[in-house]
Amino acid sequence: MMQLNRKKSVDELIEIWKKDSNFKQNILHMETINAQPAQYAPFPEQLHSSIKKALMERGIEQLYTHQRMAFDYGISGQSFTAVTPTASGKSLCYHLPVLHQILNDPSSRAIYLFPTKALAQDQKTDLNNLIESMDEEILSYTYDGDTAPAIRQKIRKAGHIVMTNPDMLHSGILPHHTKWVSLFENLKYIVIDELHTYKGVFGSHVAHVIRRLKRICKFYGSDPIFICTSATIKNPKELAEKLTNTTHQLIADSGAPIGKKTFLFYNPPIVHPTFGVRRSSVLEVRDLATELYEAGIQTIVFAKSRVRVEMLVTYLKELTKKKIQDESIRGYRGGYLPNERRAIEKGLRDGSIQIVVSTNALELGVDIGQLQACIMTGYPGNIASAWQQAGRAGRRQDSALIIYVAGATALDQYVVNHPKYLLGSTPEEALINPENILILMEHLKCASFELPFSMTDTYGEFEVQELLAFLEEEGVLVKTSSNWHWMSDRFPAHEISLRSAAQENVVIIDWSVPGSSKVIGEMDTYSAMTLLHDEAIYLHQGIQYQVEKLDWEEKKAFVREVDVDYFTDANLAVELKVLNEDKNKAYSSAQISYGDVSLLAIPTIFKKIRFNTHENIGSGKIHIPPLEMHTNSTWLSFDMPENWSEEMLTDALTGAAYSIGSFIPLYIQCDRKDLSVVPQVKSTHNEKPTLFIYDSYPGGIGLSEKVYEILDRILEESIHHVDACPCESGCPSCIGAQDSLQNNKDKVVKILSILLNEMK
Amino acid sequence: MSYENKIIQLKKMLGSKKENVVEKPVFLKPAKPHYIDNWVKSGLSVIENDYGVVLKRVVNYPLNYKHGLYELGELYDAIEKWETSEVGHPFSLSFDDDILFFDTETTGLRGVGTHIFLLGLLEANDDEFKLTQYVLADPSNEAALLFESKFWQKPKTIVTYNGKSFDWPQLESRWTLHRDTIPKLSHHKQIDLLHSSKRIWKNNLEKMKLSTVEEEKLGFKRNGDIPGFLAPIIYADALKSGQADSLMKVLYHNEWDLLSLITLYIHSTNLLVETKLEESATTYTNVGKWFGDLKQKNESERFLRKVTNQFDENESGLANFYLAIELKRKGQYEESASCFERAVNNLDVKKQVKAYEQLAMLNEHQFKRFDKAIQFSLEALKLVEKANCYESTQKMKIIEQFEKRIHRIENKNIS
Repeated sequence: MMQLNRKKSVDELIEIWKKDSNFKQNILHMETINAQPAQYAPFPEQLHSSIKKALMERGIEQLYTHQRMAFDYGISGQSFTAVTPTASGKSLCYHLPVLHQILNDPSSRAIYLFPTKALAQDQKTDLNNLIESMDEEILSYTYDGDTAPAIRQKIRKAGHIVMTNPDMLHSGILPHHTKWVSLFENLKYIVIDELHTYKGVFGSHVAHVIRRLKRICKFYGSDPIFICTSATIKNPKELAEKLTNTTHQLIADSGAPIGKKTFLFYNPPIVHPTFGVRRSSVLEVRDLATELYEAGIQTIVFAKSRVRVEMLVTYLKELTKKKIQDESIRGYRGGYLPNERRAIEKGLRDGSIQIVVSTNALELGVDIGQLQACIMTGYPGNIASAWQQAGRAGRRQDSALIIYVAGATALDQYVVNHPKYLLGSTPEEALINPENILILMEHLKCASFELPFSMTDTYGEFEVQELLAFLEEEGVLVKTSSNWHWMSDRFPAHEISLRSAAQENVVIIDWSVPGSSKVIGEMDTYSAMTLLHDEAIYLHQGIQYQVEKLDWEEKKAFVREVDVDYFTDANLAVELKVLNEDKNKAYSSAQISYGDVSLLAIPTIFKKIRFNTHENIGSGKIHIPPLEMHTNSTWLSFDMPENWSEEMLTDALTGAAYSIGSFIPLYIQCDRKDLSVVPQVKSTHNEKPTLFIYDSYPGGIGLSEKVYEILDRILEESIHHVDACPCESGCPSCIGAQDSLQNNKDKVVKILSILLNEMK
Repeated sequence: MSYENKIIQLKKMLGSKKENVVEKPVFLKPAKPHYIDNWVKSGLSVIENDYGVVLKRVVNYPLNYKHGLYELGELYDAIEKWETSEVGHPFSLSFDDDILFFDTETTGLRGVGTHIFLLGLLEANDDEFKLTQYVLADPSNEAALLFESKFWQKPKTIVTYNGKSFDWPQLESRWTLHRDTIPKLSHHKQIDLLHSSKRIWKNNLEKMKLSTVEEEKLGFKRNGDIPGFLAPIIYADALKSGQADSLMKVLYHNEWDLLSLITLYIHSTNLLVETKLEESATTYTNVGKWFGDLKQKNESERFLRKVTNQFDENESGLANFYLAIELKRKGQYEESASCFERAVNNLDVKKQVKAYEQLAMLNEHQFKRFDKAIQFSLEALKLVEKANCYESTQKMKIIEQFEKRIHRIENKNIS
């Protein structure tokens, strides 16, 4: 008899699945991308001999074409951005010019900026190995919250290469620049790795951190160049230039070889044909991951939310329940504490962890070694992320398997039905908006704290004298005969967090054991409204906790370990008011506008949903004060079509909001949470049925303005998709789940078509 | 209107998008602030140098000026004591030192946005003490203030309270900003009385705030003092209103700090050089321990013996403990053991375990009294097992060590 749990290779497993008729009908598309050979260029003649020696020792005898271009730009003092897929040797694009410069002039300094601490730690090991085989005295250090106080002084004075993250630069380095004189006087290179992650609110903040950095460099007389590396996005050069306020050259083509990859597009079977309900993608993923586990294939599973990660970990841990102290299945997401994360990363590298379930925290270049397969639970929201996730499999080996499992959402279904979209199309744009006045003001305070502004100074590309006068009125600056000086005992960098819209995080405290309460994680306030309300079930590393008390004032959630068979899901109600209209296009029965709005987010109720069956087994009210915010929005107002009732309109708008919201990420690279779409049957400003598409961040970050520009394409795609959806009268894949069998699809198509036809 | 609303209104002011490329300007002497005359009326005088203006207040004190328990001139007696004592100590001063007591007031606690707005300097001269306070006229006149401090001139011995980690780094930071303009900051010898106070009064004083030390040890109580945390607000207000009346209170606060530095130095010296002062067992034990750490064995023993001779066993547990360690090192095993035995019931758990361990070692290796060695090891084991001050892995390790020890001694005992 064949052994049940026999180890199999990826190719063997694919063959077995191909012969399985049940399995086969869920595969909508299978595509194998064949290996591609490398394109090489010789070492540059002037490349320092120690670097050459170290590369040769590693068996590198020539460079990939993109690495050579990077070196040439780098040493000629030209800022540049290199687009580099996973495993293309991107780090040499910056290591080569930087190390070469330091070897020729040991007083030279460089800053490497990574989006997370974990990435910096990882790159440090890599760089130190390279330096060691060069046999040269080059000092490189990570500088972050974990750096021991004893070596900080040494790093400040003598570190050639300082590897850090934007948050540390923002609050730990720039406000103390007088301790870093030798760095700022001699700074030659600023390396920004993973450029594509600097988008949306976070990217807008970092754009200011860089403007502040440049201002300090100028004070100390240095003029560093920027080297950026990015995953594939539509506008890498534009993003780099906007982020750094510096002109860049672009290196668009990679010379690195590509290994064989097999993509499976998997759609869960329909279990309720009338409503178009498919089997839960989470349950499908559980089954697929189980097969990979049993075949002995090291796998990474991506899920879009923390809750889904925890659900999957809970399900999959059933596999190891009978083994004692088995840690071969782990979760990995933001909100875990650093040492927990380090242990997981190590386990992946040494193979003791076989399946890791992750949110997009692991999308980035954290070195976790050879994973053979990757499962995406739903579309991660943009092509760049999807390719990054896919790149996790088969970095260093021949055959890799990538399974895309579609969820019920419109975008997921679109992607599973249009594999070309993922495999062949242009990726999205990454947008940032340093002009956001709230973000700008916060950083202007920091900049004033760091160095006084004169009466003629500008800040980056901004004229700021009036704003400085405002800060004087606010009482944080004083004006002398020549300058604006910071004059307050506040430390402005601590009043801004670069990472999330809300400025404060909620700390999660486990008080299960009396007398030894401990912090197990943290969460931004906006997410906390729906995830940490009283009675919420919070999952952490597969363990369930119930929130017993949310102290909203103190931003603390007290939780206790529980064992229940359900999870919770909460709703947020939103009220909107138009404050100011900046742009407007009027048509005969509809109009589109863009401007400032005020919104009130009110958490309403939560539901308790049973595991596995996903049935609703109870609900309750959430008692958290509403959050008020001013932001930018694009809105679409319609005249009521003839013979329609208000109720019909409500259904149509709700459906339209759902489908439009789903398709925006096809065009704009942003975190799904950065933009929201909300319908109002009777908008307060013009009493008309209106759809609001707004930036989920105070002051706006330019996303809804972009929507205003490309609305026709979004409408077209939405109408086409709703029309083509195989369901009868609307389903989660097109206009959202429907309560009734009235044909709301037609209504959605109708109302959107009216507008689109008039726009043409 | 909310802050956020106001800011959104400001959006319209976001002007042109051209970056002005300005060459780094050569130093331009800043203008004199318009309120200078007002500040002078409050009791300050104006100095003008190449870098701008700075305000000054000077007070002279005769040697017999009394501040709390001491006259300032007793500083010279204190130095005399160090000179005649044979004991070397990092805290000691000599007549060769050019002594300057130093304290600043700042607009914040950290970062480049924190200004020093008051430099307080108190010089010890042969016939008098002289306080000079320099006040920042406005932040544009900072180079003038720094220059006037004369810290770029010949090296001095600077005595501070928490100066090593606060005032001095802060001064260095300000200096860095003007490094192209004013002469380089010189290197000065630093004595930080917060460090010595911590060594001397650990477990004796609850707070090491200078005002606490003044009241508890130096016999000085402040009347009408402003709390330090108000200083930044008062200075900002003086800039905005042009009135310096409240600011003068910050200067008095700073003056008291500096005078107390002198008497604190005198008092601490008396504690370290003599054994005459009435102080607690804890304090003298601290002093003995400090000398021990400085490898001043004789001094250390002198202070510890003072404690063991003058105080009850329950107050002199630590002194006996440290003394026992010292005696063991010198080979006086019997006396060491009896000190450990006297100490052992008057210590915290961790040190108690250490004392039993030492007793077990002495009895095993020196006295060959194996029964006693086992008995002490068992006492230690009992303590460790019920203690909750160890981490679990550490606890296991200690238990294992004692079990090994007992096992080994038992074998010796048989053979």
